[in-house]
Amino acid sequence: MELKNVKDAFDRVAKKQKLCYSKTQEVVDRLSQEINKALDTIHEDNHESVVADLKKTFEEISPINQLEASQKEVNGALTKYPKALDKTLNPDISTAYRNIEFDRHTVHQIIAQFFYRQGMYEIGDSFVSEIGEPELVESSVTKAFMEMNMILEAMGKRDLGPALKWVASNSEKIKEAKSDLELKLHSLHFLEIAKDKNSKEAINYARKHFAAYSDSCLPEIQKLMCSLLWNRNLVKSPYSDFLSPVLWTNAAKELTRQYCKLLGESSESPLSVTVAAGSQVLPTFLKYLTVMPEKRQEWQTMKQLLVPVELSEEYRFYSVFVCPVSKEHSSEDNPPMRLGCGHVLCKQSINRMSRNGSRSFKCPYCPTDIDASQCKQLYF
Amino acid sequence: MEIDSATNGNSDAVMTESTATITPSPVVVPSSRSNQFTESLKLEHQLLRVPFEHYKKTIRTNHRSFEKEVSTIVNGVGELADSDWSKDVTVSRLTSLVTRLQGLKRKLEEGSNVENLQAQRCRARIDHLDSVDVENITEWNNTKLKRILVDYMLRMSYFETATKLSESSNILDLVDIDIFREAKKVIDALKNREVASALAWCADNKTRLKKSKSKFEFQLRLQEFIELVRVDTADSYQKAIQYARKHLASWGATHMNELQHVLATLAFKSTTECLKYKVLFEPQQWNILVDQFKQEFCKLYGMTMEPLLNIYLQAGLSALKTPYGFEEGCTKEDPLSQENFRKLALPLPFSKQHHSKLVCYISKELMDTENPPQVLPNGYVYSTKALKEMAEKNGGTITCPRTGLVCNYTELVKAYIS
Repeated sequence: MELKNVKDAFDRVAKKQKLCYSKTQEVVDRLSQEINKALDTIHEDNHESVVADLKKTFEEISPINQLEASQKEVNGALTKYPKALDKTLNPDISTAYRNIEFDRHTVHQIIAQFFYRQGMYEIGDSFVSEIGEPELVESSVTKAFMEMNMILEAMGKRDLGPALKWVASNSEKIKEAKSDLELKLHSLHFLEIAKDKNSKEAINYARKHFAAYSDSCLPEIQKLMCSLLWNRNLVKSPYSDFLSPVLWTNAAKELTRQYCKLLGESSESPLSVTVAAGSQVLPTFLKYLTVMPEKRQEWQTMKQLLVPVELSEEYRFYSVFVCPVSKEHSSEDNPPMRLGCGHVLCKQSINRMSRNGSRSFKCPYCPTDIDASQCKQLYF
Repeated sequence: MEIDSATNGNSDAVMTESTATITPSPVVVPSSRSNQFTESLKLEHQLLRVPFEHYKKTIRTNHRSFEKEVSTIVNGVGELADSDWSKDVTVSRLTSLVTRLQGLKRKLEEGSNVENLQAQRCRARIDHLDSVDVENITEWNNTKLKRILVDYMLRMSYFETATKLSESSNILDLVDIDIFREAKKVIDALKNREVASALAWCADNKTRLKKSKSKFEFQLRLQEFIELVRVDTADSYQKAIQYARKHLASWGATHMNELQHVLATLAFKSTTECLKYKVLFEPQQWNILVDQFKQEFCKLYGMTMEPLLNIYLQAGLSALKTPYGFEEGCTKEDPLSQENFRKLALPLPFSKQHHSKLVCYISKELMDTENPPQVLPNGYVYSTKALKEMAEKNGGTITCPRTGLVCNYTELVKAYIS
């Protein structure tokens, strides 16, 4: 994003502020000097005239005016920065907020579950005690994730022991789910052994654990074995990819997915998913309401979003057919229909374009002439 | 999901034409992922604004106190020149002015240190926004969620959790614990039915409150007046009237109705059963003051009125809310499969999506250009991969798993979904 404006505006504030500070310092120093000078001469001179001179000098310096002048510059910069912010960022993201209050207890439960699920036990404990509901989360949920977090924590320290142990005891189910988690973990372990320059041990390990995957993952195994040739200097080999920390994050992700699947829970925390989805769609909401302020009232009561949103793939969990013409979701009353040419539209769009079947129309995607009566309903 | 590219140019033109007549939607939604992310960074106004307001406040307060001190010293010299003190007194006065200047210099330095720290915090946040890229996006989003949670804790005054969470996640520079501590003092006092610190806060921020036409101070004063009426002793009414003359009269010009309403309590006493006045004496009034203070406070620092968490949750739930999420046996991955999330989503609108997404009934795999949908003679649609696999196993015949229809693989036709 273009943050240069913001940065520049802030630099200006900081610079003017520094200038103003040194100016103030200068003024103070000057005043001290003058008084000290007066004190030096006062013993020899008529003290009244010395003080009168001092007063005059002070008036000439006019310190207050000097301070005010430099503060004025600071103030200019201070008013400009918020303007730069307003221009670059969305000044108020609550514009798209519907005025309903969430049930606090429910929100608290969601938050507490998040903490326990992520393995942030101490924070979770602190939270439930601070809101005064120590029994908020069932301990079974907490315990279920405890082992997973332990495994992940160990993996974070490059220790695969607990992960391999868990995989071994759930091997059947993981294979059923068609997950390559087991191979992923074995490969990582293999690479760790190889990294310690112990080729023989690595080969033994490979013989023991890789053979089972010879059908499905042969190219992968070939690469791994071949990498042994460079195990003294993998960085400068064709297999430097094997050093990437991404392998570890991917394995951890896959482990989380499988673990949660066996638990019957979602693989991502539902709170993270919802907030991430919110970040994706809020800009669209805000833009819509800025362009169409007259819709703000309707926004408070709408039954379906007034503006279509673009969620990334991982947050769309169901089959949805959106008519490319009307942008409406298909439904029982408005089912998807396949035109003779193979393109698919919703029934209502076809009715509209064919004037209720009274004439043929051109497919919006190809030059075929379409007879509405030849369109066929689809079931996804 | 795209149809073949040759037909694409055509489709855009037709679509804009037809949408104009059906659903007017002038908003162009950014399509690429990175663009989407840039857009979501624009939601971070509060992150940059709040520390800046704090910084600005410090600068202004420091300026004012320096200026005051300097002018006192200048005046001191002026007075000295205009009066006829002995030499000794003059010397000692001058010496004390020098000491004062030295004190001022020290204060200047301290003030500048505080300002620098606050400026650093502002910079750290700009840098944080700037630091995001494709590599660290997951981590950045995790941090964002934690920031949002800390914001929630602080607004609810759960300081311990807020502090622990920010310390363990190393995000102290990105959250506003110290600013909320300032609010906590006032909130605690109000909960103890004391207005003094709230009034002090009002005095501190007088200009800004006046600019936003805040009547918070007026409401505090009204409450104090009510408390004087509540006491109900011989001289308390006298005191209440005096108080009203001193502190309430000036608000008459702008808030006459409320003023009259509250002053009428003089006639009704705290034991009144008249609903309109009874309510003024209820303890609930203090909670209202707390809420009002929170609002004023948030406004002053450029925060959203609602906790960020509520805003994001609401938007996210609306985006995710589909009729399917409320069905039995829906996927666990959908937050709306959970009771708690369903409860929150209940009063919210259903989602509306831009593009189709089709999942194969048989294999649960996505049907896209890699694995396009195929249509059976009865209109049922499955993915090519699943159908091919079935045909290979059964000598070229397909059995529709939902209707039992049997057909040949060669009878299938393609469907183009855009």
